[in-house]
Amino acid sequence: MNKKGKRKRKKRSKRMLPLERVYQKRHERKLRSKVSSEKRAIYEKEDAYKETINIALAGNPNVGKSVIFNQLTGLSQTIGNWPGKTVEKMEGYLNFLGYHFNIIDLPGIYSLSTYSLEEIVSREYIISEEVDIIINVIDATNLERNLFFTFQLLELEVPMILAINQMDILRKRKIDLDFKKLEKIFKLPVLPVVAVHGTGVHQLLEEAIELVIYHHPHSHYIEGGKNKHEHLSHDYHLREESKIKIAEERSTLKFFQFPDLSSVISYGKEVELRIKDLVKLIDEYRDYFSQFNYPSRFLAIKILENDEEIIKIFNFDDKSKHIIKIAEKYRKELEDLHGEDINTIISSEIYNNIHNIIEKTVLDYTPETIKETLAEKIDHITTHSIGGYVILGLVLVGIYTFTFIVGDFLGGLVEELFMNLTIPIYATYGEDNVWVKLLWDGAMGGFFGAIGGVLVYVIPFFLIIEILQDSGYLPRAAFLMDRVMHAIGVHGKTIIPMILGFGCNVPACAGCRIMETEREKKISIALTSLVPCAAVTTVVLGLVGRYLGLGWVLFLFIINFSVILFIGRILNKVMPGESTELIMEMHDYRLPNLNVITKQTYMRSKEFIFKALPIIIVLGIVLEIMLIFNLLEPINIVLSPVTVFWLGLPIVVGVFLIYGILRKELTLVLLAILATSMGLTILELMTPIQMIVFCLVTMLYIPCFATIIIIAKQTNWKYALQISLMEIAIALLIGGAIFWGYSFFINL
Amino acid sequence: MIRSMNEKFVQKKGFGTPLIKCLTKCKKGEKTKVIGVNAGFRAKKRLANLGIVPGTTIKKKTEAPFHGPLEIIVKGSTLAIGRGLASKIIVECSEICNF
Ligand SMILES: Nc1nc2c(ncn2[C@@H]2O[C@H](COP(=O)(O)OP(=O)(O)OP(=O)(O)O)[C@@H](O)[C@H]2O)c(=O)[nH]1
Ligand SMILES: [Mg+2]
Repeated sequence: MNKKGKRKRKKRSKRMLPLERVYQKRHERKLRSKVSSEKRAIYEKEDAYKETINIALAGNPNVGKSVIFNQLTGLSQTIGNWPGKTVEKMEGYLNFLGYHFNIIDLPGIYSLSTYSLEEIVSREYIISEEVDIIINVIDATNLERNLFFTFQLLELEVPMILAINQMDILRKRKIDLDFKKLEKIFKLPVLPVVAVHGTGVHQLLEEAIELVIYHHPHSHYIEGGKNKHEHLSHDYHLREESKIKIAEERSTLKFFQFPDLSSVISYGKEVELRIKDLVKLIDEYRDYFSQFNYPSRFLAIKILENDEEIIKIFNFDDKSKHIIKIAEKYRKELEDLHGEDINTIISSEIYNNIHNIIEKTVLDYTPETIKETLAEKIDHITTHSIGGYVILGLVLVGIYTFTFIVGDFLGGLVEELFMNLTIPIYATYGEDNVWVKLLWDGAMGGFFGAIGGVLVYVIPFFLIIEILQDSGYLPRAAFLMDRVMHAIGVHGKTIIPMILGFGCNVPACAGCRIMETEREKKISIALTSLVPCAAVTTVVLGLVGRYLGLGWVLFLFIINFSVILFIGRILNKVMPGESTELIMEMHDYRLPNLNVITKQTYMRSKEFIFKALPIIIVLGIVLEIMLIFNLLEPINIVLSPVTVFWLGLPIVVGVFLIYGILRKELTLVLLAILATSMGLTILELMTPIQMIVFCLVTMLYIPCFATIIIIAKQTNWKYALQISLMEIAIALLIGGAIFWGYSFFINL
Repeated sequence: MIRSMNEKFVQKKGFGTPLIKCLTKCKKGEKTKVIGVNAGFRAKKRLANLGIVPGTTIKKKTEAPFHGPLEIIVKGSTLAIGRGLASKIIVECSEICNF
């Protein structure tokens, strides 16, 4: 133990080295120059401003890490009530109390064993040199499961703060926690937090300063008093008179020593005995193992557990391989002794320890008779064998109906406005004026087309998807669809990125990382890229929906989803391997947080406006120029064998389909601009069958440019290209089939 | 196949009476105890990390139709778990069980 402690200290000191050395040197220099104590205090303050503290937010999925991250950094990570939103680590900064904080939001994970992609991301980052302190975010309503991960983190012996989040919900249930006792048990700061209200969030940083800079992990709960946090202890570094005291403390340079938690983290006598032996062996070979950032005890446990990644470390030379042998022997002994596999033994022990802690610290004031809450009732209905599917259907239809009704209404208003404005402008400047054509028909036409034809649909769409996300419905959909999804080679979780894909394929494809294996991720990405996103939906609703009715919209969507099923089946056959089983936490339903929803809808709409509007306006002008100089025709003629002959579309749409690769909504917007500048309505430009084929092609023919890039990033360029080509082929096949089938039918 | 696994398990563990069954055989709302997990190394580890270890109380909330996944409550939280995996979780059979 002693040896380990020392090694650990050495490691920490190594990690702190540049910082501490600067301190020490400056401090000595200042002492030598005998500056007055006042000045010294000012120096200290200046020093403090230069320091950076690296904080990693770690914890189970869906505990509120990203909410805390957003509160602290002002950034906007995706928030929602389902596990697995954050798939890649994200960095943000802030200055607080004179320190520079570098905050890292990590994907939520259940343990430090390497099983899925997110777990590898998180574990690798947590043990890397960069992290000064971990904030372990814990869901207060789910302590038992959350503390399991805490126990694993404790083994890493990195300075840590326990942030017990969602206290509001717990307290509403008339349950409280004994923070004083928790702090006594873990010998680390334990703080109550309500992330959505921002309560206690910045206190975490104060605590971090205390722990990392002053190396003072001490309890803040007044002995004998209420469970009140003692704030005074934190701001002493701001008060001038205490500067000197701090300076003196620094001269004795204490290094943070991870508290001795051997009484808390114990896996039972037999296991501990063997771990101790392994630690001894590892410590004897410190020359080699010290290059890795793991404490010896952690290595010992993981080698005993047969962890795939850690074994790689031990597969180095005879001496280290010898340890594997011994670990194997020990593992066998233990497994024979307990009649259980080693992971089960250790996990059971951890859960036992947790159980003891919970007994001591959870103060339950709930009356004996607990009524079924509304959330449980909704859960019951939405996972019901029949009712569940009815609701799923209603939800999906509801998304579109809502979007269509709101969008159509607002779109009509905008169009009317544009018409009303056009009349006086034509009257004043003349309809054939080049500038009117360029600036009004082109630029303003594009602007109004984007607002009235796209934005009015996009905003209600994002809004409803955010509500769906934050309520907690998505895991229920995954639960219901699991069986179906197995038929196409993935499990139920894929339905989550697919539903999010209704909003935008780009984040949805990135979200496919929640799938556990590479194969499932690839299939999920292919399927998600085929989901009609908000832009595509706009085109369909704005063209077919508006002119032909919702029945035809339904027809198009049915074709689209049949294609998804069909492609899934094929990929399932083509790609080697089998689908894994679903394991997913289903969190309680929650009343969506108004703040979260409006902010996220706003962010996403804003992004749309800033990215799409400029393109649309510029392309509107370009289109007018091309029309004036008759440049569209050559391109359209080149494309005409496909567009006119095979798909039976008007020749003018050729170039729009190319623009559509950039952003899908452009196909419709540009069509509208063209119609305006030709003085026609869309109905005069296209026949109903042409509208249907045009929309279908727009839906399927290729993922948009941004999606292709994200697919390539998540997998590789070859795969992105394959998907694109496949989708082009399918769009042409089905579009052609409909056109030719229709022509055949008509000529009969 | 489940039955044969079950029997193998009985032999391996040396239980005299077959007072065990798969989680999938539980009724909706039934509360029982885990006896063991009859799965591969990785799946077992995954389940153990989630608290599905011998002795744990487990409650089957509901299941999706057509041999879909199960919704269970374990260690105070709700999990959705694929049927294939659930059939590898062996649980205690209470009196109401007619095995
Ligand atoms: N009532 C309440 N809800 C909270 C609190 N903190 C977070 N939430 C909600 O919890 C859900 C999950 O929050 P996130 O921050 O997205 O969770 P996360 O830990 O980042 O999850 P992953 O990225 O999936 O690992 C959201 O619906 C939040 O609105 C809280 O203190 N009180
Ligand atoms: Mg997150």
